[in-house]
Amino acid sequence: MTCQWTIEQRVGLLTMNQPPSNTMTMRFFEELHVLVREISTMNDLKAIVISGNGRHYSSGADINELLQNVDQRTMCDNYHAFIMLEQLEIPVISAIRGVCLGSAFELALFSRFRICARDAVLGLPESTFNLMPGIGGIQRVAALAGKAKAIEIILRGITFSAMDALEMGMVDAVVPGNRVIPLSMEFANALPEIVYKPDRELCLHKFLKPLYATN
Amino acid sequence: MIHRDKSTFELIDSIGIISLDDPPANALSIPEFISIRLLHQWIANPSLKGLIIRGEGKNFSAGGNLEAIFNASGNPKTLQSLMEDGISLLKTIENLDIPVIAAINRVCFGGGLEIALACHIRIASENALLAFPEANFNLMPGMGGTVRLPAYAGFSQSAEMILGGDMIDALNAKELGIVDHIAPKDQAFEYAWTLMQKMTHDRPVKVIRSIMKALKNAVELSHDEAMKEETLLFCSLARDEAERRKNEEA
Repeated sequence: MTCQWTIEQRVGLLTMNQPPSNTMTMRFFEELHVLVREISTMNDLKAIVISGNGRHYSSGADINELLQNVDQRTMCDNYHAFIMLEQLEIPVISAIRGVCLGSAFELALFSRFRICARDAVLGLPESTFNLMPGIGGIQRVAALAGKAKAIEIILRGITFSAMDALEMGMVDAVVPGNRVIPLSMEFANALPEIVYKPDRELCLHKFLKPLYATN
Repeated sequence: MIHRDKSTFELIDSIGIISLDDPPANALSIPEFISIRLLHQWIANPSLKGLIIRGEGKNFSAGGNLEAIFNASGNPKTLQSLMEDGISLLKTIENLDIPVIAAINRVCFGGGLEIALACHIRIASENALLAFPEANFNLMPGMGGTVRLPAYAGFSQSAEMILGGDMIDALNAKELGIVDHIAPKDQAFEYAWTLMQKMTHDRPVKVIRSIMKALKNAVELSHDEAMKEETLLFCSLARDEAERRKNEEA
């Protein structure tokens, strides 16, 4: 499977599984869509942690494959998978290590929380390929970082560091690489049984900060 | 003393440069400081990739001409329609589907600051000074300043700045979120030019305009509508790029 799913103590681990780059192929998006549909019927989950197998989150979509197959329906389906993830009644945490680019960064932006490795590289480089982010990244970046920053980073197509992302409000915590997944799990466990759309700031302050302040 | 269109336009490498051109203060004789019709002529070029607004000489702009406002206020209807024209000019600039950067050296007051706030990105030189001094003259900002400032600086900081009428420096403005970058002394235009090149150089016009449209939709449309539009824009770019690659191979 390009999209691996396990459950540990009621926390679902969704792992992009095409190492080393965990490229988001058409097949990945199809499998993700099916998986998220299944997840949405699971009643006993507490939270979900999304990460990549190996050292990277994901390098994003396979552009060659995408260009050969692009049509509105595919894009809408991909978006639908992201939206379903976002609308789950449990918090979704992206655990970001290594590269997190393009569609992969868009997937992370659809998560409620983003915990990021110090040496991670993030960005929306689509414009450098004569394209644009196509699965809602534009909206999310504008909401989190403001329109001016959004224009700048998306038109330039630059990559940026975890600390830059933190400063722009696009990730919630920056920690050493080997702490990213354990911390995301601890955070998922520390969160109370949460109602739909938890208060982000409250959760970060009350349940995430104490975990990595002591590490 | 109503004279307008004291602004000049220059096109360099697909980037339009509008200079407020009445130095040293570059004061605005009327709110619609460029007629919208003239602006449309300037930006009609389909290969235009971006716009920089700057002040001729040392300053950006000291803002509206008080005397002109008081003269026009004798006829409330005249003043209102003058203000409305100014507001729609700024709205036109804000809604452009190419990036617009304000390059702010030194003085940027009142109406000048309202122009800057309507731009997409603001670069201020480290010796820039920003203010809404209107309250000192028993007036208030009248071209969207009270609406746009809170979007960047929040309600309480905006109240302080507009009621107080005091100047803030570039560093303070950056902290408040009113300006996006600080350039070296008097170098706002050079900084803006470099940033504009980084955003537009080697990018097809259609890519730039599609991204700008999607960003505008993100702010203006409902989420679902914005996504629908984004998908259409994306697919159109992807088809172009697929075609381009095919031709390159052939």
